[in-house]
Amino acid sequence: MNAKTKRIAAVLITLIWFFAIFQHASSAQTTRGGTDIAVVVHPDTPVSDLTLSDVRKVLLGERQYWSAKLPVVLLIRAPVARERDVVLKVIYQMSESQFKQYWVAKIFRAEAASPPKIVYSNDMQFELVSGIPGAIAFIDARNVRPGLKVLRVDGHLPGDKDYELR
Amino acid sequence: MVRAFSIFGILLLAAGATCAQSSPPTDQAEQMRLLLERIEQLEQRVSELEAKQAPAMVNAVYTAREAAAPVQPPRQAAAPAAEAHQHDVPEQAATTTVQQMELHYPSLQIRGFGDVDFSATDQKGTTSGFNLGQFDLHLASALSRKVSYFAEITFNAQPTSNTQRTGYTVEVERNIIRYDYNDYFKLSFGRYHTPIGYWNTAFHHGAWLQTTISRPDIVKIGGTFIPVHFVGFLAEGNIPSGGAGLSYSFGVGNGRGDLISRPGDAGDNNNNRAWVANIYSRPQRLYGLQLGASVYRDKITLAGADFREWIASAHVVWTKETPEFLAEFANVNHRRVLTDVATNSQAFYVQLGYRLPWFERTVKPYYRFEYTHMPLSEQVFIPNQDLVGSIVGVRYDISNYAAFKAEYRNTKREIGLPRVNGLFLQTAFTF
Repeated sequence: MNAKTKRIAAVLITLIWFFAIFQHASSAQTTRGGTDIAVVVHPDTPVSDLTLSDVRKVLLGERQYWSAKLPVVLLIRAPVARERDVVLKVIYQMSESQFKQYWVAKIFRAEAASPPKIVYSNDMQFELVSGIPGAIAFIDARNVRPGLKVLRVDGHLPGDKDYELR
Repeated sequence: MVRAFSIFGILLLAAGATCAQSSPPTDQAEQMRLLLERIEQLEQRVSELEAKQAPAMVNAVYTAREAAAPVQPPRQAAAPAAEAHQHDVPEQAATTTVQQMELHYPSLQIRGFGDVDFSATDQKGTTSGFNLGQFDLHLASALSRKVSYFAEITFNAQPTSNTQRTGYTVEVERNIIRYDYNDYFKLSFGRYHTPIGYWNTAFHHGAWLQTTISRPDIVKIGGTFIPVHFVGFLAEGNIPSGGAGLSYSFGVGNGRGDLISRPGDAGDNNNNRAWVANIYSRPQRLYGLQLGASVYRDKITLAGADFREWIASAHVVWTKETPEFLAEFANVNHRRVLTDVATNSQAFYVQLGYRLPWFERTVKPYYRFEYTHMPLSEQVFIPNQDLVGSIVGVRYDISNYAAFKAEYRNTKREIGLPRVNGLFLQTAFTF
């Protein structure tokens, strides 16, 4: 193997290595496909239809009250749950670390007193949404149970063709 | 040449190995996903078992009662009891979960920010070396559903000498108690970062929060161009404006003190209150965009002379990091009351950053240009503090809560002084 061949081989190896690293990095960001994610609230919450922008305002902590007497209580699934992936991708349009940094900054700016509450399972989510007035959560549409109020998003319910949270 | 490629190849292998070392989070994520799926399955199983157990329990109660007292009536009485018992358990569990998750008052949360820096410049009379940045503690506590308290305290390393042995100074940067009526009206009292422009209220003293190592000259710590702090009250909230997404803040307070870089914490130095009004828009259709304008009015008393101060400021920011764009402009007008002589000083900066899509989006190169001009006739500021400068750097997020930053700066201050080049490194974190 002469020097020129070695050089070409070295360049090829480095290019392949770069490609492998980038592929690895980008593959970590893909999300799993699946069913619609329903926006559910405590049954006494005085809303039934929100635009996607309104949902975003609630999740960003820019809207903190449903009414003067009823504060919003944000519930979000723990990392790696599909519900969380969809919320981060469609509504926040942030990565996991950007989401964490967003809430650290939000509290630091004195714009909110606490971050969203983390829930670890559907049962826990159901118990909290039905038990805490003002609570809002995001549940896989297949797991919605009676006793929760499912909100329309931009006029659509989960299962509709134009429903965006999926 | 081949040797150079080999070395490069080895370095890449090392980089790959580092990348591989940082890959466990993906495995962990997969494990967590599997665990969560397992929890879901178990929950489903529990529900099924509870459903099956219901008739069994009714029968068991009935049989037991029959055995003990055969004449006892039957199902109708026993069934509700069994059902009640069966429902009690999950309901109790649900109540406990709700109680655990509900906020208890006061609920104090403490977060800290810190940074360690290195600097080396070609400016005559300066030395290179490490220094500790601000150690910043942030306290937030909900006192009730509508009342919250926030504080920010910094510890600042000071140069020591034979005569002055103070190692650190402690500063209460913010001290705020806020009452939320609703989203449209929130009233607070205390010491704030003055809501002029964007940077001053977006990043406060947390170096980790900002992309760059340094703050722009316009809002630098201990600077005078805008009054960084403000003591008084502030009303803020959203304005019902549909898709325009308008918000406001309006405050009245003490304004600048005898030392114009500081507010009158212990009291104003004249009988005139400063006021500030800030309005900004976050349009719903352009998520990430913020446009805003602020005005600030004060009467400054310096060595017996009174000056009227008007500050007008505007900003445009795109907060998403692909790209990140921050631009802010401020004009400071000072008019001496006695002579009516007025001066105008201007400052602005434009910052551009981009979070690269590779390496799990941890790398963000950035550039900032900044400009400050104060006329020689300026009477409140120390004149001749002009600045034209550029910084270029890169931020690497080591984790969700820590970052490395490296920055090259090229700045020119006063006319006649040489340009200064500098290398700055920082590790900033929150905990």
